[in-house]
Amino acid sequence: MKGFAGKRVGSCFAITDEESRQIHAAVVRVLEQGGMRCDDQRAAKLYAKVGCTVEDDGRLVKIPEQVVMEAFKTCPSDFTVHGRDPKNDVAIGKGEVHFATMTGRYLRDIRTGERRKATRQDAIDGARMADALENVHGLYKSVMWIYDEPKIINSQILVGEMMKNTTKGMTWVYNTGAPNEIPDLIKIWQIAAGGADALKKKPHVLGHVIVNPPRVVDVNYTDWMIEFADAGIPITVYSATMAGATGPATLAGMMVQVIAETVALVVLTQAYKPGHPLCFCSFNPSMDMRTGLWSFGNPEYSTLGTGIAKMAQFYGVPCVAFGNTDSCDTDQQAAYEKAMVLFNYALAGISLTWTLGGTAGFNFVAWDQMVLDNEVADFIGHYLKGIRVDPERLSEELIMKVGPLPGSYMNEAHTRKWYREEFLIPELSNREFFETWERGHTDLQEKATKKAIEILDTHGSPVAPEIQKEIDDYLAFVRKRDVA
Amino acid sequence: MADHSDYFDKVAQTVVECDKDACLRLLAEGIDIDPLETLEKGLGKGIKAIGDDFGTGKVFLPELIGAADVMKAGVAVLDGRIKASGNVRKSQGKIVIGTVKGDIHDIGKSVVASMLQASGYDVVDLGIDVEDAAFVKAVEEHEADCVGMSSLLTLNIDYMGVVIQKLKDASTRSQVKVIVGGAPVTQEFADEIGADAFGYDASDAVKKMKTLLGK
Repeated sequence: MKGFAGKRVGSCFAITDEESRQIHAAVVRVLEQGGMRCDDQRAAKLYAKVGCTVEDDGRLVKIPEQVVMEAFKTCPSDFTVHGRDPKNDVAIGKGEVHFATMTGRYLRDIRTGERRKATRQDAIDGARMADALENVHGLYKSVMWIYDEPKIINSQILVGEMMKNTTKGMTWVYNTGAPNEIPDLIKIWQIAAGGADALKKKPHVLGHVIVNPPRVVDVNYTDWMIEFADAGIPITVYSATMAGATGPATLAGMMVQVIAETVALVVLTQAYKPGHPLCFCSFNPSMDMRTGLWSFGNPEYSTLGTGIAKMAQFYGVPCVAFGNTDSCDTDQQAAYEKAMVLFNYALAGISLTWTLGGTAGFNFVAWDQMVLDNEVADFIGHYLKGIRVDPERLSEELIMKVGPLPGSYMNEAHTRKWYREEFLIPELSNREFFETWERGHTDLQEKATKKAIEILDTHGSPVAPEIQKEIDDYLAFVRKRDVA
Repeated sequence: MADHSDYFDKVAQTVVECDKDACLRLLAEGIDIDPLETLEKGLGKGIKAIGDDFGTGKVFLPELIGAADVMKAGVAVLDGRIKASGNVRKSQGKIVIGTVKGDIHDIGKSVVASMLQASGYDVVDLGIDVEDAAFVKAVEEHEADCVGMSSLLTLNIDYMGVVIQKLKDASTRSQVKVIVGGAPVTQEFADEIGADAFGYDASDAVKKMKTLLGK
């Protein structure tokens, strides 16, 4: 799926080249002298295999710079999260900016306006919404939990419904920890892809492997790393460190800890499977000092993100990100926080950001918000183009032909040729004349709600019925096996 | 009678594509084809298609203005032939339009002119900074059905009342309808100066024109 490109992609970071080198030097010192606690013997063995020092009965791993640099040598500089329809392929690390959906435990019922817990039908609706909207290039979980299904099979049903209702690629973060969660999800992704080999050849999932901060390589995520790598699913490695709580309160200090932790996972992944595709990810809220809650819509969050993107560039791997707002609803705060975070990320050339539809920091999702974010993505795409300077666009001959007054550009073929490419013509944003608007208008939120309802009423599943049936059969088997 | 439907489609297409040269070339080639039919089934069909697409947001002002310009050039050619053949072209109505004296804002008035043309009206565009006498002269000369006046400047719109008075003095006020528009113009102002209608934007001006002229 064609993302947004342009001369401003990768043009603006929060750190310089020289500062990247300073951060790397600090990262090396932390990894060589401080090391990582390792709660998993398989991981400790992998670290030892590639030349790390393992101390404290296998629980403290110290990683020399040379091992770090060797690990990055085997990482591909780019990869693809495939769509199950090739038109939905998303190139990671190839100079394009993409946007994907966010998730929530709660959502606003698009028809009644009620805020309520998410259900299985919402998982379906979220996937259909994402499938229909043109600037949605991929999906996170369409909802965080399905409250009308048992916990033990929650992830399976969620992923099953997503696979049944969109061909766009998705991403996955550890969810319930149910005993069969990992093998079941891999199985469902394989069914959707058309078999285990098809999934390896064209992975349509990006898996998450996360450090437990500060500086712990987690057992569960080691499981996921191994399963993702074995199934051929590319991985994003990162640290969900919270500034001021699980990480330092300085952004530079955050960079050092987060990158050290991320690099530790790069070494682990490449030790297990050299050449396995991976990328960095920005997911570092700061702690709100009034409440202790995590905060995403703040300037330091995405500023750190562009630093992480710069360090990814330093090491030669791609970068993705989460983008969110702290606002609990679809409102002005959601609009400005998300627009600023996404614009900041886009300028830093972050390949894929999970953001569309979400508010309240992973707690709330709304389909009208997804429609509005889809339009914001359009705006950002236009910003990224920059000013394209070439002979035809410079318009010298035209300028000399048309002016001075009373000449006008309105009836020039040049205008008709270029305006659609150079101007943004928004679908929903208001540009009415004031008196016209005052005489009567549809509120932006109402327009977005109407469009979301239209999509849900008309957009069917693009997934072949036999694949849907196979997934349903597998879910029926899972239910019979796990639910008494 | 020969079937010229392919020819008419091609003429219509030149309007849709805003290609004036191609339109005039085709009209030159079709010298023997009924001009009234060419107007209706060629130019008219093309301009209607553009108008419909503008209404649904498929095309925007540059296409509308370009198509109206092709239409205008085509009508000029066909008008000559229609007159020469002793026939009369039925017009939706003739409108004299201009930005009133003291103001050189051209765009809004030109957009309204194009939309009126695209809706089948004949438009005589007097341009900008137009004096009262020029309006009166154009109304008499073109036997206009309506006068459209525009201004973007708050302190300048009173001149529209001056033009209306001048039309009254020349005893032509009763023969024409008057419609006014522009950012500072309101319905209250239109009533105050004795205009017949107020168009709050270009689309509204077309709607009001249909009501005013009954067609």
